[in-house]
Amino acid sequence: MDEDILTTLKILIIGESGVGKSSLLLRFTDDTFDPELAATIGVDFKVKTISVDGNKAKLAIWDTAGQERFRTLTPSYYRGAQGVILVYDVTRRDTFAKLDNWLTELETYCTRNDIVKMLVGNKIDKENREVDRNEGLKFARKHSMLFIEASAKTCDGVQCAFEELVEKIIQTPGLWESESQNRGVKLSNHEEGYRGGCGGYCSML
Amino acid sequence: MAADSEPESEVFEITDFTTASEWERFISRVEEVLNDWKLIGVSSGKPLEKGVYTTETWEEKSDEISFADFRFSVTHHYLVQESNEKDSKEELVEDALPVAMQDLLCMNNDFPPRAHCLVRWYGLREFVVIAPAANNDAVLSESKCNLLLSSVSIALGNTGCQVPLFVQIHHKWRRMYVGECQGPGVRTDFEMVHLRKVASQYTHVSGLLDIFKSKIGFPLTPLPPINISIRLTYVLQDWQQYFWPQQPPDIDALVGGEVGGLEFGKLPFGACEDPISELQLATTWPHLTEGIIVDNDVYSDLDPMQAPQWSVRVRKADNPQCLLSDFVTEFFKLCRRKESTDEILGKSAFEEEGKEVADISHALSKLTEPAPVPIHKLSVTNMVHTAKKKIRKHRGVDESPLKNEVLNTILLYLFPDAADKSADGSEARTSTSTGSLPPPDSEDYNLYIQFKSAPLDSLTYKLALCLCMINFYHGGVKGVAHLWQEFVLEMRYRWENNFFIPGLANGAPDLRCCLLHQKLQMLNCCIERKKARDEGKKSNSFDRSSSDTGTPDLLGRDYHKESDKEKGEVGKSWESWSDSEEEFFECLSDTEELKGNGQENVKKGVAKEGSKETSALKPEGRLHQHGNLTLLHPGEPLYIPITQEPAPMTEDLLEEQSEVLAKLGTSAEGAHLRARMQSACLLSDMESFKAANPGCCLEDFVRWYSPRDYIEEETVDEKGNVVIQGELSARMKIPSNMWVEAWETAKAIPARRQRRLFDDTREAEKVLHYLAVQKPADLARHLLSCVLHAAVLKVKEEESLEDITSVKKIIKQIIIHASKGLRFPNPEDKKLEEIIAHILSVEATIAQARSLKAKFGIDKCDQEEERKDLENFVTSLLEQPEVSVIGAGRGPAGTIIHRLFVNAQKVAMMLPLDEELKRSDSSDEKRLNSGSVADFPSPAGHEVILRTIIPRPAPYSKPLPQRMYSVLTKEDFRLAGAFSLDTTFF
Repeated sequence: MDEDILTTLKILIIGESGVGKSSLLLRFTDDTFDPELAATIGVDFKVKTISVDGNKAKLAIWDTAGQERFRTLTPSYYRGAQGVILVYDVTRRDTFAKLDNWLTELETYCTRNDIVKMLVGNKIDKENREVDRNEGLKFARKHSMLFIEASAKTCDGVQCAFEELVEKIIQTPGLWESESQNRGVKLSNHEEGYRGGCGGYCSML
Repeated sequence: MAADSEPESEVFEITDFTTASEWERFISRVEEVLNDWKLIGVSSGKPLEKGVYTTETWEEKSDEISFADFRFSVTHHYLVQESNEKDSKEELVEDALPVAMQDLLCMNNDFPPRAHCLVRWYGLREFVVIAPAANNDAVLSESKCNLLLSSVSIALGNTGCQVPLFVQIHHKWRRMYVGECQGPGVRTDFEMVHLRKVASQYTHVSGLLDIFKSKIGFPLTPLPPINISIRLTYVLQDWQQYFWPQQPPDIDALVGGEVGGLEFGKLPFGACEDPISELQLATTWPHLTEGIIVDNDVYSDLDPMQAPQWSVRVRKADNPQCLLSDFVTEFFKLCRRKESTDEILGKSAFEEEGKEVADISHALSKLTEPAPVPIHKLSVTNMVHTAKKKIRKHRGVDESPLKNEVLNTILLYLFPDAADKSADGSEARTSTSTGSLPPPDSEDYNLYIQFKSAPLDSLTYKLALCLCMINFYHGGVKGVAHLWQEFVLEMRYRWENNFFIPGLANGAPDLRCCLLHQKLQMLNCCIERKKARDEGKKSNSFDRSSSDTGTPDLLGRDYHKESDKEKGEVGKSWESWSDSEEEFFECLSDTEELKGNGQENVKKGVAKEGSKETSALKPEGRLHQHGNLTLLHPGEPLYIPITQEPAPMTEDLLEEQSEVLAKLGTSAEGAHLRARMQSACLLSDMESFKAANPGCCLEDFVRWYSPRDYIEEETVDEKGNVVIQGELSARMKIPSNMWVEAWETAKAIPARRQRRLFDDTREAEKVLHYLAVQKPADLARHLLSCVLHAAVLKVKEEESLEDITSVKKIIKQIIIHASKGLRFPNPEDKKLEEIIAHILSVEATIAQARSLKAKFGIDKCDQEEERKDLENFVTSLLEQPEVSVIGAGRGPAGTIIHRLFVNAQKVAMMLPLDEELKRSDSSDEKRLNSGSVADFPSPAGHEVILRTIIPRPAPYSKPLPQRMYSVLTKEDFRLAGAFSLDTTFF
């Protein structure tokens, strides 16, 4: 059952409280939308297997609470994540303005520096938009992130966001390890062959 | 289908292969392989340019075939040339000689520095070799050899392949090959003679010419001119006059902070023996013709000083003993030891440990009831002596693995604060512990993130280096076990006496560091909390600590003892009233308030049980006001409470916890349970909030805690005024959601009287136990990343003195690979070995560079330009297989090489050294003076290539290339001839 799974990836969802992190995740894993989803306490966790380009990847997705006070608790879970989804609410500018803080936090607590980052502007179904798509794009470009706008309510862009992220992770060398065996990274074969005169090679005469 | 048009007869023509012999099958297999590799057809190519055999890459592909049950491997060797592939194809000339035959005469690539022997002997750019597949197999009998050669001949003939095909005969070490190359109407036979000894008439050029002439058997006179290339190789192994500068450090010396001439915290570096074992000087006469020089039995014109080309190669010692590599390798070996600390230190130590364990089991109760701590002066020596006494007592006569002074030095190095400590009293500690070194933001400093080791100035890093050194110089694994035991004792001592561990960054464990480092940081966190708690108690009843400071040393100590006793008593009284309760969290910043109304608090604590809600009217544990916010109902300012800090975590704890959380699964119940498990912090915050804001409601809490969940709207009331109305967000209003639930159960209790979220006593004991059970092997695994980190830094530092480009590149690669390999828990041994091997190679390269620089006297060279040339020369010696000497024997490098040889010769002949030997102009004179002693020893290798073009076998045949290569060394003599003949006109 798990045999054909290429790898297990750890993915994080972060962002200010109430931007719809849990809703995005619920939409992705269960394809449902619950307008009355309780505020997350600490971290929550969901699993889903998806297939990207014929590669099956098991995603362990950690959903975090956005409240300031929980922020002393949640960064511990950043450890070892290969991908992170940074969410803001397009109808609340303050959630967009706080993105910089989240990035700094990520930088501080993340154990690897090649983690793949994706920016998601959520709640595009709502009418009172405050953050323009271009602003999101600009921010993502500045920080070399993937960018998409989505709506957990209408399902727009949700699947796509996760797929893109996973694809990017799989394309990044050294970021993930194959499930079956730890692929050894071979050191350069510098100097190999300088030693040992077998095979008819001789250094002198 | 085209079948209809084909002649009918073909259908009935049956070829029968059923009776094919093994030999036929073998030949067809050879043909198949040649076909597969597309070696069929006219080979073409331009004459090769100078040096391409070294600059371009050689490739090979192999296949396996068998003759009956004897397996052969077929290998195609070829030079890959990037350019001009296509251009050459266009100018195909009918009946051109195969490229291999043209190569026989090409003089651009004689004596390639590194190539397959067949390339060296025949100058070929492409060939196929059939050799027995198994290493010890050999084709020995003459008939079998001939059979193979015939197979080759037939296969070449059948396929029209123009690539020369060789078979290896006799034992592999003899490197005997015979072969053939076929072209349109021409054939070249490759023959070989290999002898152990040779008659003296063939040791010089004139004798070889005789062989060559008789071999080609040219009937006409005069013979066309024969081209001669000669190379004489001289070997220098005796570096007498240059002592290898590095001595192995003297391990018995112990001077001040240095042990064995090495400071703790520094790694040794360099080779113990000369990493350059041999210098080979090749003197070449690339283009001579018969008659220009004389070289026979009695006289030779071949004076190396006069040779037009000089080239030099150095042989590097195979496995030079290098200090740094030895250090690291030995440390790595520790990882494979199985013994536990107890087993290593002996049974007696085990008993001792047994007591220790018993102590730990009681430790919790012992620590919670704060008995007066007996030892108060933190003196390393004191400590060491006691530990040592214990060990000695149990072991009897046995010496403990580490000498006292060594151990003292190390402990002082690891715990520099201990020195001040014994003199100043306990309060100086905080200043030393809070990051003694300002962290430089350099790339090197942050290297620990890549290696997942620990910062350079950290205790963990220092410990790793000390253990590394002890392992190497002071008792191996026993010493390691001993130091570790002492270290663990010190850790316990510090925990029990509220002394911070020095050399660790403040705050929660840094997950980017190695686990051991995190554990130590964790212990420090525990100490910090415990200390805060104890100080809170102390200041609560007696505000004495301030008057402590500044008392003279001796008196101070006595005083401390007394105050300790008092402390103990005080503690008891404090504990006694709260005995029934769990331990309480005590806020650091709470102390101020405590000082003010300590008594009151105690009273309240007692009263608490009975009258919860009434006492809540009095606000407690306020941190500060939250902006201008006011409570919704009473309208009083909203205060942010003092809260408990969340529990610090090490990565293994975290791993455990995430596993537990993940195991709850993804169901709704699982998620609910997960939230409940994590709600402790929320609940604690709510309780603190309630305590700080009497009469508050959930809305107030949410406005502080999760402001976006309190939605405010401007509405116009009946009177027409704009009123801001707020309410909880929809999700907070879900009935019985966890926030509401928690709010309802939360009592108004200030943080300092809440149950501790982080049980420092338990966590500290866990850490101490963890440390105590680490075997030396575990320890080595923990600290290997630090050692590798240190080794790379050392190599980097040494490289910067020498500036070797290739080494720079490898170091970068090592760092990249290390960061990939060490990032995951339990890195594979193979990866670690690879990293270590690369560090070793880098160290050897640097040592080689130094050795060469010393030998060529670069430091002594005054002339800037000459010095630069020499430096370049030395660098290329390291990086290239062979380096030509500019100006041959007359250039600056040549002069030095000449001098090296002359001196070596003199040593060999027991003549006094001539240090004063001047530059090139004096060398001729020199030779005259030294008379009987030749400047150079007899050549170690004597290579001659003879080439010509003549018609064979008959005078009217086509003129074809003929070539004979000969090499004479001390061990053997080899002739490799390639003789072509016309197969049409003979």
